[in-house]
Amino acid sequence: MKKALALLLAMVMIFALAACGQQAAAPAAAPAAAPAGDAPAAAPAAAEPEVIKIGYVSDLTGGTSLWGNAGKYGAEMAVEEINAAGGVLGKQLVLVAMDGKGEAADSVNALRKLITDEGIVAEIGTNFSSCNIPMAAVADELKVPIIGTAASNELVTVDENGKLHPYSFRMCFIDSYLGTVMGTYATKELGFTKAALFTVAGNTNSESVGAFVKDAFVANGGTIVAEEQCQEADVDFRAQLAKIKAADPEVIFVMMNDYAKNATFAKQAREMGINCLLMGHDGWDSQQLAAEAQGALEGCKYVSRIGFSKPEAKEFGEKVAAKYNIGMEAECLFGWDGVHWIVDAINRAGSADPTAIRDALEATDVFEGLIGTLVMDPATHNPAMACAIYECHGDAFEYVETVEAVQ
Amino acid sequence: MLLQQIITGISIGGIYALLATGYSLIYSLLDFSNWSHGEFAMVGAYVAIVFSNILGTPFVIAAVMGVLGGACISFLSERVVYRRIRSTGGPNMFLMIGAMGMSNVFQQAANLIFTGQYRSYSFKLPVSTIEVGGAYIGVLDLISLGITAVILVVLIYLINKTKFGLNVRAIACNQKAARVLGIRVDQSIATVFLLAGSLAGAAGILYGMKYNVFPTMGNVGLKAFIASVIGGLGSVPGAIVGAVLLGVLETLVSAYISSSLRDFFSFALLIVLLLVKPSGLFGVDVQEKA
Repeated sequence: MKKALALLLAMVMIFALAACGQQAAAPAAAPAAAPAGDAPAAAPAAAEPEVIKIGYVSDLTGGTSLWGNAGKYGAEMAVEEINAAGGVLGKQLVLVAMDGKGEAADSVNALRKLITDEGIVAEIGTNFSSCNIPMAAVADELKVPIIGTAASNELVTVDENGKLHPYSFRMCFIDSYLGTVMGTYATKELGFTKAALFTVAGNTNSESVGAFVKDAFVANGGTIVAEEQCQEADVDFRAQLAKIKAADPEVIFVMMNDYAKNATFAKQAREMGINCLLMGHDGWDSQQLAAEAQGALEGCKYVSRIGFSKPEAKEFGEKVAAKYNIGMEAECLFGWDGVHWIVDAINRAGSADPTAIRDALEATDVFEGLIGTLVMDPATHNPAMACAIYECHGDAFEYVETVEAVQ
Repeated sequence: MLLQQIITGISIGGIYALLATGYSLIYSLLDFSNWSHGEFAMVGAYVAIVFSNILGTPFVIAAVMGVLGGACISFLSERVVYRRIRSTGGPNMFLMIGAMGMSNVFQQAANLIFTGQYRSYSFKLPVSTIEVGGAYIGVLDLISLGITAVILVVLIYLINKTKFGLNVRAIACNQKAARVLGIRVDQSIATVFLLAGSLAGAAGILYGMKYNVFPTMGNVGLKAFIASVIGGLGSVPGAIVGAVLLGVLETLVSAYISSSLRDFFSFALLIVLLLVKPSGLFGVDVQEKA
């Protein structure tokens, strides 16, 4: 009995010592922990961090983890390269990734934890507007800049009243820009006059880009003959496809953000005798889509960022694919660009203070990234970028041409 | 268009039916809803993925292994969890809580092992269709419906025409009396779990061939549960009819009302049935379970 008690007491002491050790170590690595308000009083407030931590939040385990992980791999490779060249301001970079599961609540919690517990100076991700919209408020509150990757809804960087979120940035074109390019291209370049629109109910990106496609298509003389929606978890679209078929469109705009579902949609459409062109947005941007569709997308098109059509981007994508044994995913370019853009801002600011980084990000004239040339608008934090048209041939989508938005 | 919608509904209902019969069989014996039944389908689908995509076996072998995988996980869950709960004499609620826990564990495990990515079988049927009176039926759908029909006919034969079926029906009717009469209750229950798990495994593979394989695919089990309640919990033919009715109802609601309201109608139907006719459409009394 006595032995057991002694053992128990010893274990309690070990745990207590370990906990003390952790508390003392935390502020050394995370000076920005102050906003949490729970940092130990004994912590040396002026301790200079040894490393500069950059956060990364995305879906690392869910249905879209293919992209979340590709972005993380791209960011990791950028960090490795920068550290090998001596780091930034004489310090090494550390990438701290957390799983946001593609869900708003999880992503917000992950960001808060990265800032308060890890002491990151800036964050990259997510690729979803539905996550970055609530994350923007947290970034403003804790005064650490965040950079959305493919989060393209207007509300990611400005609130409903048009007021700028000072700490929220993005690296992609916005929904209105992409939607307008798609709608205009379908009418002006492809000559379509009758279209069907398919969106995911409750999905901010899908509904938002879809609305702009519709506006541009109608503004250029086209008619939307059918408008159908599915729910996020749906995998069978035949009920809606039967209605679309009855409306006899020349093109169907398919606004889903998941390659497997887009492939299923295409196969089900062909099975039901719908042979018209399917057209998508950047949610189609996956190398697995064409093969998965088994020919059902032959000749179909999507509009997205220039990405892999740049030779240096393609080379980097191939490196990531080989190193991590994944397909060529454009999201890895965002990870790479995000780290380099933050490092560029730190170098220009001469400081790794989050507010100084924010100011430098906002003051970016032109940033040459793998994803394209990014020109920042300080009033909206939206970059101006050209986009590209891709067309499906066999088991791959091929770059067709570059287009600018027609406003 | 109506014919097309009904065909689509039947094809969706076919998958529900394979799962719903498993729910019904287990409910008829143990008086609880096995919430992890959908996950048995998911396990079966992933086992087939491992054999077909990773080990490179012919798809028929992968499919057989998938069905066996579903059967094994179902059998093991009975032996490891449900039998222990039953032997302690706890309320049926404990069985249901155990099932919910397992459902979560299986989903998380699949997420950890295979990640949340959608996966498709390396074996693919060509995208082809048959036209019937202006409506289109996918070849995969036809094959899937054919397999489902054969499996269900065999199942109904097993339940109604064999000694094993007689034992199961006796246990469903009165477990204590069956035991007194010399029926090996535990063995029969384990066999039913094996059978229900195989049906789930087959459903998982067919579902995966149509819509890909992913960790949360077992959530379709909820729809199968509704189907089995519509048909009358505990009745195998009721579960089949309920499943087809639910598939058609969902398709018609998506087509003619709104896809956003589809689940609203499914669950509303469930609540109305529970209020008006809790024994389900087939209205089986306890004597006729299974």
